[in-house]
Amino acid sequence: MTTAQAQATLYHDIPEARDVKVAIAGVDVHYGDKQALFDVSMQIPDRSVTAFIGPSGCGKSTFLRCVNRMNDTIDGAVVTGSLKIDGTEINDKTIDPVVLRASVGMVFQKPNPFPKSIYDNVAYGPKIHGLAATREELDGIVEQSLVKAGLWGEVSDRLTDPGTSLSGGQQQRLVIARAIAVNPEVILMDEPCSALDPIATAKVEELIDELRENYCIIMVTHSMAQAARVSQMTAFFHLGNLVEYGPTEEIFTNPRERRTQDYITGRFG
Amino acid sequence: MSVISLVALALLVMVAGGFYMGRTRAIKQVAGRSSELHSLPNYYGYYVALWTGFPALLLLAAYGLFGAASTHSWTVAELRAQAHEMSAQFEGDLAANSEYVQLESTLESLELTVNGLREELARLRRANDADRDPHLIQLRLEEQRSSRALLALAGTSIEDYRTGVATGMLVTARETGVAASIRAGFFLTHSDIVRAELFMSDARKIARGETPSELLPELEIVASRLTDHQNTLRNSVGLLVLALAAIALLWTRSQIQPQFRARNNVERLTTVLLIAASILSIITTIGIVLSMLFESMRFFSIIPIQDFLFGLHWSPQIAIREDQLGQSGAFGAIPLFAGTAMITLIAMLVAVPIGLFSAIYLSEYAAPKFRTIAKPVLEVLAGVPTVVFGFFALLTVGPAIRALFTSLGFESAVTQSALSAGLVMGVMIIPFISSLSDDVINAVPQSLRDGSYAMGATRSETVVHVVIPAALPGIFGAVLLAISRAIGETMIVVMAAGQGANLTANPLESVTTITVQIVALLTGDLEFEGPKTLSAFALGLTLFAVTLLMNVIALRVVQKYREKYD
Ligand SMILES: Nc1ncnc2c1ncn2[C@@H]1O[C@H](COP(=O)(O)OP(=O)(O)OP(=O)(O)O)[C@@H](O)[C@H]1O
Ligand SMILES: [Mg+2]
Repeated sequence: MTTAQAQATLYHDIPEARDVKVAIAGVDVHYGDKQALFDVSMQIPDRSVTAFIGPSGCGKSTFLRCVNRMNDTIDGAVVTGSLKIDGTEINDKTIDPVVLRASVGMVFQKPNPFPKSIYDNVAYGPKIHGLAATREELDGIVEQSLVKAGLWGEVSDRLTDPGTSLSGGQQQRLVIARAIAVNPEVILMDEPCSALDPIATAKVEELIDELRENYCIIMVTHSMAQAARVSQMTAFFHLGNLVEYGPTEEIFTNPRERRTQDYITGRFG
Repeated sequence: MSVISLVALALLVMVAGGFYMGRTRAIKQVAGRSSELHSLPNYYGYYVALWTGFPALLLLAAYGLFGAASTHSWTVAELRAQAHEMSAQFEGDLAANSEYVQLESTLESLELTVNGLREELARLRRANDADRDPHLIQLRLEEQRSSRALLALAGTSIEDYRTGVATGMLVTARETGVAASIRAGFFLTHSDIVRAELFMSDARKIARGETPSELLPELEIVASRLTDHQNTLRNSVGLLVLALAAIALLWTRSQIQPQFRARNNVERLTTVLLIAASILSIITTIGIVLSMLFESMRFFSIIPIQDFLFGLHWSPQIAIREDQLGQSGAFGAIPLFAGTAMITLIAMLVAVPIGLFSAIYLSEYAAPKFRTIAKPVLEVLAGVPTVVFGFFALLTVGPAIRALFTSLGFESAVTQSALSAGLVMGVMIIPFISSLSDDVINAVPQSLRDGSYAMGATRSETVVHVVIPAALPGIFGAVLLAISRAIGETMIVVMAAGQGANLTANPLESVTTITVQIVALLTGDLEFEGPKTLSAFALGLTLFAVTLLMNVIALRVVQKYREKYD
């Protein structure tokens, strides 16, 4: 084990008063012959925002996809090591990824509403998982999710319009509403604001900050400022290694690793 | 070697020479320092070569396209003119003959007399009993009788006179050896189009050295005219082509200077060339459509369009023999439309589910390795000639269906049925649908699938709720294209569906389709001008209109769909 990794593992203690939601130990990811992640271990707290930063290709998305087993859908991707959510091992043959994904939502870089109405987009998850017994219940879930995603006011009178008819920022909040409609415990976001303009970004950031009250949010971002604004914990990845992980303030004001310092100050990346 | 191939060869040499000359002249003008030229040296070569070759080639192509036709019409026009001149001369000779003019005026005055007498007699007979003069009537009657006899005599002598003069002219014609060509000219002027065309095709056969259906002196004379004119036309076109090429070569070569923008000019020429090619194909299409439209109009002038479009009875066969009783031909196309629709429907019932499901399997479920093998295999099906499907339907599927349904108690089942044609056509169309749908399904962005999987949906939930709805417009387009393919498909139905124009909803009966009837109408004994043959054009036009409409809709839908995801 290199010193960097040793330090990173050392430094994954979580600030008091926060429960560990996701506990990762010794995760390696291979794409065919190519190893994309090397022995990553960290503990991610509940009810907070954890940001993954690092230069392009360092494995942030790969790591994020481990948490909801989306790597299973990629041919040749092999994930080894231990990933526990609330103490339950999820990187295990016996766990059905389809069930897992109902409790680990994901929001992608590019808004990807389904070719359906706004209503049906949000109702998609509840419908396939049978969360609503009656139409009224479903209506309630859709409304609540849209309210939580801060979109209700804008779309309440046009629920039957296609989801694709919304603006990019609205679409991104729509897919966040879609994700929270199944009441997940963890929400993964892969660069959720990179396709949005500053105003839409601000809205989504605000939303993320609100959602933190109830969910464990893990987000990948290329914006240092965004990581600093919305996250409580920050992890810095480099070349497939977790270099440093800790409370956001410390990472940004007083990084322990030179590589982290260089990256944050924009000296490489 | 024929003259034309010699000309083509010479043209080729000139083009090559033009390239070389253009290039060397450009280089020479800057004394070998190519960088001082506006364009690369080759462009000067291309410029000269293109101008040398292109217009000359166009002329040559025009000759190839229209040469035979113009030789033909030239010859026919000439023969007709000769015949016309002959009759003009005949009338002129008669008019110049005082004896004949005398005869004619006698005839005319006799006619007047006879007419006058007839009127007078009628007046006399209408008079009241009191005023009636039987004696006068008797007198006029006798006068009339004698005038009539004189008139008849005058008529005969005029006829005799005309015959005499004509015979004299014919004798002269025979002596000078033009009798045959004049007879040919008269024939071509006065016979109907079909017989004239048969006559000319025999003449062409003789000109080519083949055996005609009959050997007449007229035919031989026309054949030799054809050959002469063909040679004249060919030689002058050949000369013209070479002259055009030479002028273009010299002219463009003289244009070459270091500052000459050869590259831009070549660019422009190439554009013109490409435009010409696409215009040619468009014009061809328009030409085909127009000729179809024209012939259909002729058909609709015989059979009213509403009788054609809404008539329930189709039996065009009877028009062959006119002596058959009570047969005027029935051209109600509804049975054909219904047959076409039924077979298409059966084919779609087979092809759409199977094609779509295999597309879904291939694009969503199959391992990449399986996919790389299975997809081409499926597409091989599209390469099987339709006639093979046709005899498969006729010899295997048809009898099997009949055996199955007779054993189930349907005694009326026949070998040639809509069902067997539809089933086999469906199989033929499967790769069409699967390949097109596979493309549109693959065009559904992966991000949508990821989104659905991330929501905890299974693969089939994702397919049903996300992928298919997203691909639906494209799939719809694919199905429409397949339908228009099915409607236009001929070989399978010709072999497997039978000929009976039954208006039935029973797929076990034999039905007929638009395409089958077109084949039936245009093969075998033809009555050229009759509504029977013309109806084929009307059917063709209908077919064209329907498939065009489908394709337009399909392409628009697919295009819209593309825009959505680009
Ligand atoms: N589907 C795949 N197949 C093979 N290799 C992959 C695949 N996805 C990612 N990789 C490789 O794994 C490594 C990490 O990729 P990943 O997408 O996780 O990077 P990232 O940190 O998210 O980068 P970015 O910031 O550009 O999104 C890269 O080297 C990439 O080439
Ligand atoms: Mg990424």
